[in-house]
Amino acid sequence: MSERPDRRGSRALLLTALLIALAFWSLELPWSGLKPNAGGLKLLAEFLSSALHPALDYQTTGLPAGTPPFALALVTSLLRTLAFAAAGLALSLVLGLPLGLACSEHLWSGSTHPGRAARLGAGSARLIAALLRSVHELLWAVLFLAALGLVPALSVLAIAMTYAGTLAKLFGELLDEQTEQREDALQLLGATRLGAFGFGRVIPALPALLAYTFYRFECAVRSAAVLGFIGLPTLGLRVKLAFENRHFEEVWTYLYVLVALVVALELWSARLRQRFVA
Amino acid sequence: MALIGPSGAGKTTLLRALAGGVPLKSGTLLHGEQDFATRSAREVREVRAALGFIHQDHGLVPALSVLQNISFGRLGSRGFLGALRMLAWPSREEQRNVLAALERVGLGSKLFARVENLSGGEAQRVAIARALHQLPCALLCDEPVSSVDPERARSVLGLLGSLAGEQGWSQVCSLHDVELAVDHFDRWIGLREGRVLFDGSPTETSQVELDELFAATKGPRLGNASKA
Repeated sequence: MSERPDRRGSRALLLTALLIALAFWSLELPWSGLKPNAGGLKLLAEFLSSALHPALDYQTTGLPAGTPPFALALVTSLLRTLAFAAAGLALSLVLGLPLGLACSEHLWSGSTHPGRAARLGAGSARLIAALLRSVHELLWAVLFLAALGLVPALSVLAIAMTYAGTLAKLFGELLDEQTEQREDALQLLGATRLGAFGFGRVIPALPALLAYTFYRFECAVRSAAVLGFIGLPTLGLRVKLAFENRHFEEVWTYLYVLVALVVALELWSARLRQRFVA
Repeated sequence: MALIGPSGAGKTTLLRALAGGVPLKSGTLLHGEQDFATRSAREVREVRAALGFIHQDHGLVPALSVLQNISFGRLGSRGFLGALRMLAWPSREEQRNVLAALERVGLGSKLFARVENLSGGEAQRVAIARALHQLPCALLCDEPVSSVDPERARSVLGLLGSLAGEQGWSQVCSLHDVELAVDHFDRWIGLREGRVLFDGSPTETSQVELDELFAATKGPRLGNASKA
């Protein structure tokens, strides 16, 4: 007797399509509003044409005394963006690595086969990780801004909170995906349970974790730049101020520098990922 | 001693049970005069530290060097922090001992190689060197030649045999190749579906007993012995 074909996949696809259609319908999107008016078109054309000749100096004259040269201001913003990203990511590692260990069922288990207590312990840690990462870094920054005022440390904290949750989730999953044979082999050699977990499960997962951390550094650079829009002294602040003053050539310079930075980091981290994961 | 039998006979389960890695449903496992089940966690570790175990898949830790993996042979005699120090800053004496074990299996030049860059045969010998470094009083080998060609299998079993004689180890080795067992062991136990079919010298075992051992398996197999 032939088996009935499994139609769950096509049903799920149909349901997803229906939900998407429902979402669009419920938003009552004013498609006609996407058509720009004459003033908007002119502004857009001005902005796009500025892309061909990015600024090499300030577009404004009569700057107050003591204003640093354009290139120096640009490099300073760039370095600050990198510094915020690095500090935020470092703090997220301090928080996320122990939380990631706790997210692994195997840390809580008395054997290589996790039981109910292990699922409860790991589940609690995963809940904390989910709470941390479900709030976007921009929202964390707004919360810290209300509590602390506009201090540079809030950028570091905002990045650290969200990224710690993400790193913890991924690290926990990486640990649980490791083969049990190594941990088991070390236990049969006489290793303590902690030793078998650390050497047989954590160490083999480290290359993948390092690779992911490098990728997150790129994300942290973008986050640090975006946090400039709430007033922190990163590239984002320069973009915001230039945009508000319609200095589009300056905007393009900052965007090009940010893109170049992200591409350079991607090339660097790709090489490192290849070295660690190969 | 060799444990022979078809897949699912319970060879791996028996070896793991001997090292206290599988809880017993019935019977008693004695180490010396003491029941294994009554031992504390520390005592269990001490027993395991005295039993070398060579795994079918070698049980080596990737991302670490041959030196670090062989050092793991002495995990049983160190606490977590001691093991961490040994891993990060191995003493000169530790390095000398590891190198001596590695040279004994003919891989002296691979001390600092990463284990994932080794061939299957080399990884096998590193696992043997780890057991050698452990200084055990007995060696348990789970299908140590399942992933190598016949010539290499004879070489590995010859090496294990000479090391056992030289170091005074007792050796229990699970195999599914009857010829290899006949050539390298003077006692074997035939296992089928978790039961002992025969126990004796290969020269005294009849062809009828061997045919019964490897006859097509019927009925349920041991649940946790799928690797054996």
